[in-house]
Amino acid sequence: MTKHFLYPLRTLLFGCMCAASPTLWAANLQAELVDTQGQPLANAVVTLRGPLGAEAERSNALMDQQAKQFVPNVLVVRTGTLVPFPNSDNIRHHVYSFSPAKRFELRLYQGTPSEPVLFDKPGVVVLGCNIHDWMIGYVYVTDDPWFAVSDEAGKISLDQLPAGRYAVSLWHPQIPEMLPQTGAELVLGEPGAQQRFTLAMQAPSNVAPATAPPSAFADAFRKATRDSAQ
Amino acid sequence: MTLRSSFQARIASVLILLLAVVVGALYFSVQTATNAAVRSQAGEQLEIGTRVFEQLLDVRGRQLHDAVQVLAADFGFKAAVASGDTATIGSALANHGARINAGVVMLLGLDDRLQVSTDSRITEQTVARLSAQVRQRQREGVQVFLMPIADKLYLLVEATVSAPLPIARVMMGFQVDQTFAHELRELTHLELTLVASQNNLPAIWVSTLPAPNQQQLQQDMSAGPPTRSGMLRLGEQSYLGRQLVLASGEGFQVQALLHKSLTQAQQAFAPLYEDILLIALAALLASLGGALLLARNVSQPVRLLARVAERVGQGDYQVPLELKRSDELGRLATAFNAMQQGIAERERQLAHNALHDPLTGLPNRTLALERLGSAITAERPMAVLYLGVGNLRAVNENCGPGGGDLALQQLSRRLQATLRPGDSLARLVADEFLLLLENTNSDSAVATADKLHQLLIKPLRIGTVDVALDCRIGIVAYPADGLTPDDLLRRASIVMQDAAKLPGRVQVYQQGRDAAQQRQISLIRDLPRAPAQGELLLHYQPKLDIRGGTVRQAEALLRWQHPQLGMVSPGEFIPLAERTGSIQLLTSWVIEEVLRQLREWNGRGLKVQVSLNISTEDLLDSELPARVEHLLNQYQVPAAQLIFEITESGVMLNPQVALQVLHSLRDCGISLSVDDFGTGYSSLAQLKRMPVQELKIDQSFIRDLDDASEDAVIVRSTIEMSHSLGLKVVAEGVEYERSLRLLERWQCDTAQGYLISRPLAAKAFEAWLAQPLTSAVSLVH
Repeated sequence: MTKHFLYPLRTLLFGCMCAASPTLWAANLQAELVDTQGQPLANAVVTLRGPLGAEAERSNALMDQQAKQFVPNVLVVRTGTLVPFPNSDNIRHHVYSFSPAKRFELRLYQGTPSEPVLFDKPGVVVLGCNIHDWMIGYVYVTDDPWFAVSDEAGKISLDQLPAGRYAVSLWHPQIPEMLPQTGAELVLGEPGAQQRFTLAMQAPSNVAPATAPPSAFADAFRKATRDSAQ
Repeated sequence: MTLRSSFQARIASVLILLLAVVVGALYFSVQTATNAAVRSQAGEQLEIGTRVFEQLLDVRGRQLHDAVQVLAADFGFKAAVASGDTATIGSALANHGARINAGVVMLLGLDDRLQVSTDSRITEQTVARLSAQVRQRQREGVQVFLMPIADKLYLLVEATVSAPLPIARVMMGFQVDQTFAHELRELTHLELTLVASQNNLPAIWVSTLPAPNQQQLQQDMSAGPPTRSGMLRLGEQSYLGRQLVLASGEGFQVQALLHKSLTQAQQAFAPLYEDILLIALAALLASLGGALLLARNVSQPVRLLARVAERVGQGDYQVPLELKRSDELGRLATAFNAMQQGIAERERQLAHNALHDPLTGLPNRTLALERLGSAITAERPMAVLYLGVGNLRAVNENCGPGGGDLALQQLSRRLQATLRPGDSLARLVADEFLLLLENTNSDSAVATADKLHQLLIKPLRIGTVDVALDCRIGIVAYPADGLTPDDLLRRASIVMQDAAKLPGRVQVYQQGRDAAQQRQISLIRDLPRAPAQGELLLHYQPKLDIRGGTVRQAEALLRWQHPQLGMVSPGEFIPLAERTGSIQLLTSWVIEEVLRQLREWNGRGLKVQVSLNISTEDLLDSELPARVEHLLNQYQVPAAQLIFEITESGVMLNPQVALQVLHSLRDCGISLSVDDFGTGYSSLAQLKRMPVQELKIDQSFIRDLDDASEDAVIVRSTIEMSHSLGLKVVAEGVEYERSLRLLERWQCDTAQGYLISRPLAAKAFEAWLAQPLTSAVSLVH
């Protein structure tokens, strides 16, 4: 399964590299992300592969753990970024990932571990904590130079983009098969361009419930008892 | 003894029957109750067991689910699964499965495809089917699944392997085996049978039932659905059962059969039944004993009573009944004794009454005869005094009713006072007593009787009246005068009657007196039949007309030719006839016979005047004149040819009626003659009142008539007096010639007697008339 969703990513990355060209830093992007029902989507990732030659600056990324949650929940980094995993909680965490994009394990630690983790392959890295099962975080590793994560209102804002034509990739933790949605083209040049992107979400039923109902079997048994009694 | 057998047996059998019914009813009600209790208890246990079973399965499922969850969350396991290396994954599955004793562990991809399995027999197809079914059940909300896989039944639990997002599903199967079933049985106390049926495969059986029962159950299940009642009989045991479908899906079904053994529950009551049986047996024995004891207690006194009753029946009243009890039987015994005494007393009374006279308390005739008999048996000489009271009726009339009784009581007291020891007194009938004087002969008995008579002649005082009893005593002596009590008594009675006629009122029996009495009795008996039997005949005695020297008259005299006793004289039977009332019969016959004879003679030209005797009773018969007149007409005989001779005493008895009859007869034309004149006390004045034409001077004056005797004066003066009254005079009993001469001289009219002729039969009389008179008679002229 990991292989399946690895393959399109690679293709995407390849495509981005080819399309890259130098442009002016003149444009910015204001966009809103919604689901198919039109509801704003938080933690949605938008990456742009712009005109060839245009290269964005590398930024520092950080995956914190606060109140037994990964903060931010979704982190986008460029391939080859070193991400430190500081632990802001006063308890220990055991952060791990079995994602093919990056397998790693930060054994029980407190504070910032000595070594940041290098995400050297594009792809989705799902983070978990072996102690706190509900702690799930995502590190979206991309080759695209420009990217943003939507806020609570589903909005993103990118500044100082060179004008030109961009290939847009969209991703969200609930996107089907965890594969980014690609294919949208975007021409940036005029200022104040307002964009709206729609993402199809995975049906929630596909996700297995976290815990079993307390007495599902008993219910079934009772039902059988009742049936036989009738 | 039937009493014993029947009574005791009946009490015993009733008691035992009652007890048997009670115990039986008790037993059956206990059995019914216990059966119901067992059933309801078993039902309850089944219900509870079912719930426990359900809880156990639930808990077990949850435990397994949790365990699998924990297992799936194990970091190492996740790491292994995430490694993607089949061998590694396989070993991890085996390892972790072993941790929680899972029988089979499978790893499925999120696309439901089997990735790795610990059991090589599990194929892709099986997993596909299982997965589909699990999905189906999951959609129904079930997390633990009972499913058959191959030939085993598994409890399947599925868990998602999250790393941290779901990457695979692990499915662990826990084999439901005999051990598991037994574990459940330990907890629920129910026999558990799980049956997993699959398409095209033999059903899987997991059961805690004993093997034979299980086999039978299998056969029953294949034969048809279980009965509604839930009752099931397997081998020796009976069960209450329930059937549940635990899981079913495409091509399979898992059923749970829960059974509660009733037999086991019932066995708990076996001691109770044994106890009841024991109690019943003990009660049965006790009641049998009790019944026998009770029956004995009752039957023994009853038998005693029966024996005493038999003795009483045989007349033994002397043995008292010894039964000291305070109950009903005791009361019965007391009553029995009282009854015995009562009967004895009444029997004594009855015996006394039978042998004694209630009025005087003296022995009665029976006892007197008995005593007489016993004296005769002992050959003790004794005198029998038969005492009669002649005037008891008069006493009764004078002293009023009861007077006679009082007189008799006083009499008996007087008599008793005279008795010597050994003598006895008895009252035979109303006015007759008997005295038995021991060792006494006739002579000394007469002396005693005289003394008695003197004593008894003294008047008795009845109330205010003094009464003298007219007692007569007849004496017979044993053995001189008779050898049987009856003879002695009869003869004494006769003698007593004879004594009545004696002035001394005491008579001793004389030999032959008895025979005369017998002759008298037969005469009295035969007299009324004599006229019809033709035993009577008339003789005619001629009557001489002294002055004319002719015979134109005769007296008809009745004769009785008795078939056994021969000729009986009128002097013997006429008084008897008068006493017994047969005289009228005789008179009637005589009148008719005389008339018949007269008609006969008249027919032959023989004119005779016939006189006949009319008795006292005839004179009191007012019908007589009419009857005579009728006969006169019938026989066409002139009344003048008849003379009726009557006696003075006859008229004297009831002069009024007698005179009436006489006048009527006289009016018919019949002449009347006074017979036996001179023997009675009739006065001439009376004679004058009677319509008579003739006097007959009694023969006692005539028989020895001579010149010098007193009779001559009487006869002569009577003749003169009669003539002066206008009466003719007949002299009877003329036997001597000199008598006739005197009569002639005194001018007597008619003479009758042997001198003229004895009485003659009709033919002889006719012949006698035809002859000339004898010289003696004719001498008169």
